[in-house]
Amino acid sequence: MQTRGLPGLLLVLPALLLLTTLTLYPVGYGFWLSLHAKHSLFPQQTFVGLDNYLYLLNDPEFWESLRIGLIYSVSTILLQLVLGVAAALLLHQGFFGRNIVRGLVLFPYMIPTVVAVILWKWMLNNQFGLINFGLVSLGISSGPINWFGRSYIMISLILVSVWQFFPFVLLAVLARLQSIPTELYDAARVDGAGPVNRFLFVTLPQLASVLFIIILLRSIWMFTKFDTVWLMTQGGGAERYIRTMPVYAYLRTFNYYEAGMGAAVAIVMFLMLVVAAATYFFLFRQEDQL
Amino acid sequence: MIRRSAWQRLGLGLAVAALLAFAAFPLLWMGLTALKPSSEIFAWPPRLLPEAPTLSNIGRLFEQTHFVTYFRNSVIVSSAAVVLTLLLAVPGAYGLTRYRFFGREMIAATVLFTYMFAPIMIIIPFYIVMRTLGLANTHMALVLAYCAFSLPFALWMLRTFFQSIPIDLEEAAMTDGASRFRAVIHVVIPMALPGIIATGILTFILAWNDYIFARILISSDNLKTLPVGIADLYNASVIDWGMIMASGLLVIIPVVIVFSYVQKFLVAGWGSGGVKG
Repeated sequence: MQTRGLPGLLLVLPALLLLTTLTLYPVGYGFWLSLHAKHSLFPQQTFVGLDNYLYLLNDPEFWESLRIGLIYSVSTILLQLVLGVAAALLLHQGFFGRNIVRGLVLFPYMIPTVVAVILWKWMLNNQFGLINFGLVSLGISSGPINWFGRSYIMISLILVSVWQFFPFVLLAVLARLQSIPTELYDAARVDGAGPVNRFLFVTLPQLASVLFIIILLRSIWMFTKFDTVWLMTQGGGAERYIRTMPVYAYLRTFNYYEAGMGAAVAIVMFLMLVVAAATYFFLFRQEDQL
Repeated sequence: MIRRSAWQRLGLGLAVAALLAFAAFPLLWMGLTALKPSSEIFAWPPRLLPEAPTLSNIGRLFEQTHFVTYFRNSVIVSSAAVVLTLLLAVPGAYGLTRYRFFGREMIAATVLFTYMFAPIMIIIPFYIVMRTLGLANTHMALVLAYCAFSLPFALWMLRTFFQSIPIDLEEAAMTDGASRFRAVIHVVIPMALPGIIATGILTFILAWNDYIFARILISSDNLKTLPVGIADLYNASVIDWGMIMASGLLVIIPVVIVFSYVQKFLVAGWGSGGVKG
């Protein structure tokens, strides 16, 4: 019995109202704001049409932030996927203590970003960090590496981000692996398929639908990731080399006090995501998904 | 179970050890550093275990910083966000499951759509809206922000749970003379409890871990939550690594506790995209 009618709508209404005022309205307001010149702290604003967007077209800092943002998101997404799937296959095997290991490897995803960043800043510390100690003692590097200097800061940022977010991929893939019927593997064995072929022709097709969604969500979240990147920029002088689009939008708004310009950067980011997501759906969506 | 050769067992063991070293060792190292006196923290070569374990880092954190205030603020804000989110999401998800009305699927789709918004796309206008409402620099602004960000997954997750509860049970209770409200309270809610607890805990973790909203919406030191407080401790002049690591350790303890408890519910929630970040 699904009751018709209004009571249902009334039950959803409060949640809907809050979502509308606090997420949908701000997005609309952000679009409106991007058409204005406005100081972040004062109420006055002037309508400038598309001027903010035209400015961004010729703004080298904006294009640089796009380039850096793409390097960051593409590399972290690929590494998370490879590591997450590999770890899920590993933890799908039966071994002693498996449940404890499963719990432990999920922690990086559950802790506050600020903790992830400070603990890696300690691990990667130039003078006293464990990583440099290991690299020098093993003879891999002749001297301590400046992980927060211009040549290495992007690598450090990618390392921290992959560490923090690969458990998401791991858990989603593991949940799906557990629901693959074992008969499929038995049948493949009877047909003489080795481990590699069983992975390629049984496991991978079964994972296709969950990977489709993981890639979509992770792409959205990595491309718009702010806190990890921003906290990595604090301290050290190489902030410029990891200034992704979200960081640039933040700087425009809260350091240059150009709320309109900051909003324009955020809207451009949003539109790029919409176009990318639509293309992705068009290219890869299969009938049985979603 | 397939029998493995000795080499396969060795390979498996090494792979698991490598995974643990990557994922969990940095956290262990943070905990060990937090318990070392500074002579050992900066010892070269570094030693794994503290020779003379000390709580002085935690002591400095309590005495010389506003850590306790930040901690209290985080508890208040996160708990309030959980309560508000559940108060809105439980009836909302029930309404979306058990009633059929015009626009229902469109509402569900819109909710999913808002799930795609990242904080950075909303924060600038959100900040201006809060200033206009006079809520900038209040805990209320944070509670509203966390609630808005948890609602999409809360609604979806609870909807999946309500859908899995056979409607016959409510009907049976109502045939026996219970009102719909009582049927929900005594039949549906107890059955959906694992889902409600999991939703509440995920909301708590989201609020507890947030940096960006707290950074932008809060300016008074005595209103700051832990992530912002710790970031500021780190940025303050000379870095006291022992104290910073102690703060990291204390912040993740509540997360570890609730997470160990919720782990068994989590895989179910994952299917509906329960966690975001």
